Amino acid sequence: MPSIVALFGGVAIGLVIGVVLAHRTARTVRRPKAASNDLTGSAVTAAGNIAEEFGADLALGLQSAVDHLQMGVVVCDASLKTTYRNGAADALTGTHAGVIVDAHLQQLFTETRSGVRAGRIVELQGPPKTTYSIDAMPIPGGGAVATIDDISERVRIDSMRTDFVANISHELKTPVGAIAVLAEMLADETEPTVINTLSSRVVEESHRVARTIDDLLELSRIELSRRLDDAVDLSAVVDEAVARGRMAADGHQVQVETIGASDRLWIQADRPQLSSAVGNLVENAVKYSDDGGLVQVSIRRNERWVEVIVVDEGVGIPAADLDRVFERFYRVDKARARQTGGTGLGLAIVRHVANNHGGVVSVQSQEGEGSTFTFRLPARLVVPSPEVNEPGNPTELQPAPGRLAATAGSTPPQKVSMSDG
Amino acid sequence: MSKELRSNFHEQLAEIGAGIARMSAGVTELVPRATQILLDGDLEAAEYVILGDDEYDAKAVELEERCFSVIALQAPVASDLRSLVSAIKIIADIERSADLCVNICKAARRIYSHDLDPSLRGVIQKMGDQARVLFKEATEAYINLDGPRAAALHDMDSYLDDLQRQFIQVIFESHAAGTIDLQVAVQLAVVARFFERIGDHAVNVGDRVRYIVDGWVPEHPYAESVNDPPEIVDGVVVPAAQG
Repeated sequence: MPSIVALFGGVAIGLVIGVVLAHRTARTVRRPKAASNDLTGSAVTAAGNIAEEFGADLALGLQSAVDHLQMGVVVCDASLKTTYRNGAADALTGTHAGVIVDAHLQQLFTETRSGVRAGRIVELQGPPKTTYSIDAMPIPGGGAVATIDDISERVRIDSMRTDFVANISHELKTPVGAIAVLAEMLADETEPTVINTLSSRVVEESHRVARTIDDLLELSRIELSRRLDDAVDLSAVVDEAVARGRMAADGHQVQVETIGASDRLWIQADRPQLSSAVGNLVENAVKYSDDGGLVQVSIRRNERWVEVIVVDEGVGIPAADLDRVFERFYRVDKARARQTGGTGLGLAIVRHVANNHGGVVSVQSQEGEGSTFTFRLPARLVVPSPEVNEPGNPTELQPAPGRLAATAGSTPPQKVSMSDG
Repeated sequence: MSKELRSNFHEQLAEIGAGIARMSAGVTELVPRATQILLDGDLEAAEYVILGDDEYDAKAVELEERCFSVIALQAPVASDLRSLVSAIKIIADIERSADLCVNICKAARRIYSHDLDPSLRGVIQKMGDQARVLFKEATEAYINLDGPRAAALHDMDSYLDDLQRQFIQVIFESHAAGTIDLQVAVQLAVVARFFERIGDHAVNVGDRVRYIVDGWVPEHPYAESVNDPPEIVDGVVVPAAQG
């Protein structure tokens, strides 16, 4: 992967230098008298034949191409004065980010005077956090060209990947290690009360690891599956999730309620997935609520989206973690995660379900005030209510499989082939 | 400095402007950094920020010196003079803001190992965000000499002031609930003040930008009555009657 990036970078930079030189040459060709006054003229020598070979039109076309590159390109002359900025680099002008990038550019241009490339990574505190990779290289004959690449997304994905590997080994190894130690102790133990405690701990830990593996399997199933041919009653899915949420909430007095009119809203989707996504959102809201807190679930519909909105008044999510909570195994508060017994995969599942349905899940949160999760599905998935079922359909009212079993009476018609997906 | 005076004059102005923009952009980065350091209890990063402050101080002195020498040697007039005089003031505001960020980092060291409740963390984040937005706007108003944008800073600052009051309230509540001890409560109250002051400095920069653009000066309601001081009746200030 890095080699591909490097290769691409090399090609892009080569193109840029060529284009910039060609552009200058083109100007020289068109205005031969102006060339001696042209500050940029010093760099022309190396590219003398580009315009001759390909013509000024191509040179202009290339300049327009560089102008529209996503990457910022800045060229300076031998006295380090900036002579060209493409569109992307110009977009930074006048912002505080532009000032910081310019300061680094000047330093890098100075470094290239010794004839070597110079580069650095510049991080800007957000929000949103931005990372620029700035590379400058000397142009033969004087001056230098620099590229400014916004690598924020790449940096984010890289850290996601490394964190994932570290986290998954942690999540799986901790309970397994605990089981091994507990079992060893059990083997030498004769006291019945101690044996009881130890064995119940073994059971607890093995449940934890089983839950993690279940969720991982479910996640990979969702990642693979793209079948969205159930007609699902969204309000029933929400009711069911709320009912499950209430059960989980009983322990610590959290109130779960649905608000707004509960019109039946049928959408074309994968029922188990949808049920899992909404269930996870409600369950999370309950888990992270304080005693006596309130969780509100509502369905909203406009021309573009059907939205399930889950609002809680819980601990909230720190701004720094906000864009990472949908990652697999990402934990905001490691200590709390142990208490609540989550696997760290719930929100990753939600995100994948949303993606599968062409939707998106987003979160707004203020630490100490609570979070609002919005699960959106495109409105085109809405289907007319299938109230009249084909007579004699033998698989009608087949419940969803396993732990996603629906509450009686609210299950929409399903085909057998769907229920094991 | 070059002897070729007039021809270099505007170049010198531009250099001073670029230097100020750089400092100001740096502080715009420093505010969210200090906020994050405070929230994470990141002592190492705090140390970096504290050590880095000398650079801001040195830069401020250098830029100020350059302003003085340009004023003395070039005798600028009109908008050039306004921008130089303002520069001296803006430099002081930026330098002071950098100090406040350093103070926040020092507070982070003092409250290290004390857990803050989510509600406190939430308000700290909000204040940090708002202070950053204010400084970013002030910086960009200065870079672009954008008067209207600078004028908007007053309203943004009153939100920051509201947040400060809210922060103090949350500190009282957390202290009453026993989640933070008195020492931490006092440190946090001071931090609230630091953020609020950063906002004020940003507003000052904005006011100066307006002065550079069109000579605008803030109105001081009591300024007219300096020669005619307000009466004090039973400890209550009674402003002099307006003519």
